[in-house]
Amino acid sequence: MKILIIEDNNRLALDMAQFLSDNGFVTEIAGTFREASDKLDIYQYDLVVLDLGLPDGNGLELIQDIKSATPKTSILILTAKDAIEDKVHGLDLGADDYMTKPFHKAELNARIRSLLRRNKFKRSNILQINEIRVDFVAIQAFVNDSPLTLTRKEYDLLLYFMQNPDRLLTKESIAEHLWGDHIDQVDSFDFIYNHIKNLRKKITSAGGKNYIKAMYGMGYKFVTHK
Amino acid sequence: MKKSRTFNLLSKTTFIYLLFTFIAFFSSALFLTHETDEFIDYELAHRFEKSEHRLKHFIESGKSIDRLPSSLRLTLLADSTKMTNYPVYRDTLVYNTELDEMHNYRKKITVIESSGQFYRIELTKSIHDYFRLRDDILGSMIPAFILLALGVVLFNYFPSGYLFQPFNSILRLMQTYKVGERRKIGKIETSSTEFRRMQDLFHQMIDRIEDDYQNLKEYTENMAHEIQTPLTIVRNKTENLIADEAVMERQAETIKIIYEESIHLSKLGNTLNLITKIENNEFSNATRVRTKPVIEKHLAGISELVQLKSLALKTDLNEKHEFYIDPYLLDIIFKNLLRNAVIYGTNDSPIRIETTSDRLAISNYGPPLNFPAEKIFQRFRRNHQSKMSLGLGLALVQKICVLNNLRIDYKYKDEQHIFEITESH
Repeated sequence: MKILIIEDNNRLALDMAQFLSDNGFVTEIAGTFREASDKLDIYQYDLVVLDLGLPDGNGLELIQDIKSATPKTSILILTAKDAIEDKVHGLDLGADDYMTKPFHKAELNARIRSLLRRNKFKRSNILQINEIRVDFVAIQAFVNDSPLTLTRKEYDLLLYFMQNPDRLLTKESIAEHLWGDHIDQVDSFDFIYNHIKNLRKKITSAGGKNYIKAMYGMGYKFVTHK
Repeated sequence: MKKSRTFNLLSKTTFIYLLFTFIAFFSSALFLTHETDEFIDYELAHRFEKSEHRLKHFIESGKSIDRLPSSLRLTLLADSTKMTNYPVYRDTLVYNTELDEMHNYRKKITVIESSGQFYRIELTKSIHDYFRLRDDILGSMIPAFILLALGVVLFNYFPSGYLFQPFNSILRLMQTYKVGERRKIGKIETSSTEFRRMQDLFHQMIDRIEDDYQNLKEYTENMAHEIQTPLTIVRNKTENLIADEAVMERQAETIKIIYEESIHLSKLGNTLNLITKIENNEFSNATRVRTKPVIEKHLAGISELVQLKSLALKTDLNEKHEFYIDPYLLDIIFKNLLRNAVIYGTNDSPIRIETTSDRLAISNYGPPLNFPAEKIFQRFRRNHQSKMSLGLGLALVQKICVLNNLRIDYKYKDEQHIFEITESH
């Protein structure tokens, strides 16, 4: 899976590239509109992470070029501008998703995985870690082969953990993933605790191991080894 | 602030013209009456004098006074002691049989002296014609005044309406102008200096406001962009540390604080930016929005949180209730008010959402505020000082309400916090 990161801030670009390579992606970085344009002409990418505010042009203009040259390439807009017009405009032009800075890296990972899954029909619709398996098409989780009865939020939560295994997911990041900005993240910590308690109970009572561990009072980790 | 009553300029000028016309007419009527009376007195005095003179001449010629017409009433006085009481003037009405009407007469009773003899005479003159002249003069003034008054009113309303037309057009331009649209403002043709000056000033003002607005907008956008990218880096680097177990073993607490504060800072920036955008009227797609579907959408969004807190949602929504507002802003209002109700609502108690045809109320049970109620909409005002809550939600809601002609009220009654929104007219 090849990802092009178009971002003018080099530190941020490098950090994202490092993070995405750790998650098994091949990454390249373009720091300017020109550089991005050149790279897009030569190579094919599965996904482009696109910052709109580039020093030498508006990232929105790249969207149509990408979509006409390689329609299968997914585009994830990542920008500090949270203006709705930009969001609507970007999605209208053919972008697949939109995230605003600052973001949680786990969220970026989850979104990228969802986009890639959506755009590649050949790929497996199953995500499995040990005895736990998630079927994206049926929107159903299994422990061994027995289906789990999860609420929508519990399912989303499990999926978020499994997309980011062995990584501490902070409560803030979980809250944003589950509720967006419907609720202040801090206010929702009790709710997260409840969801996690229920999810653990459902997994263990179906014969699964308890993988979700609380970490340093900061969040939770889906621990797959040890 | 109390609004004093206003009148339009035309009515005011018309009223003042009328008042002045009335005063002018009234004083000239007084003057004319006075002049006519003086003229009548003078004329009669002159005629009486002539008659007296002729009588004196008649007596002196030695003719017998018995031959005078009886109407003259000339009598010889025995002594002259009563002379000082004369002359006496008297106005009387005499019935005229021929014309079958009362006529005015003036009578002069006086004493004349002729060769040592004193005679008392009564002279009578008709003043009917004089009085008629006076009445005619005064009588003609009333219709003249009415005509003039009518003229003033008509002149003010019709041609002045025409004169004021550019003024009204300029007002309409001002009214429909929206800052930030960068629309070319139409120019109203007028040859009136005042209006042209007003229009020029309006154009200059708009240019200045647009410049300021543009600067502020750029500043806000730059701030949003420039501050969020470094914050993203801080957050992402912190996340790297969080992923490092060895570091976390030793520095979990420090890293946690850096992480939380960076999130707090970026949310603060975002929300303050949003408030600025709202203040700048950037959300200007106001339409009449039925609130019921919007509320239901938000309730679905929080239903699970409501369940986790065992709150009960009690709704009584009026199908027809609507606000004139940009739908995005309406979303912000509901998001914040409902969030507030869920966060501060006491466990196992109901949250009520009610709309009638003209009013929206959202209430939840909870302990009273620990600060005065009128400060509830202030920025950074929180009930229990929960450090990570932004304290901007209600300030945001109030700002939106004020800018959209909505009135929001808060009250605490029967252990319930109640927020009410009505359209202010």
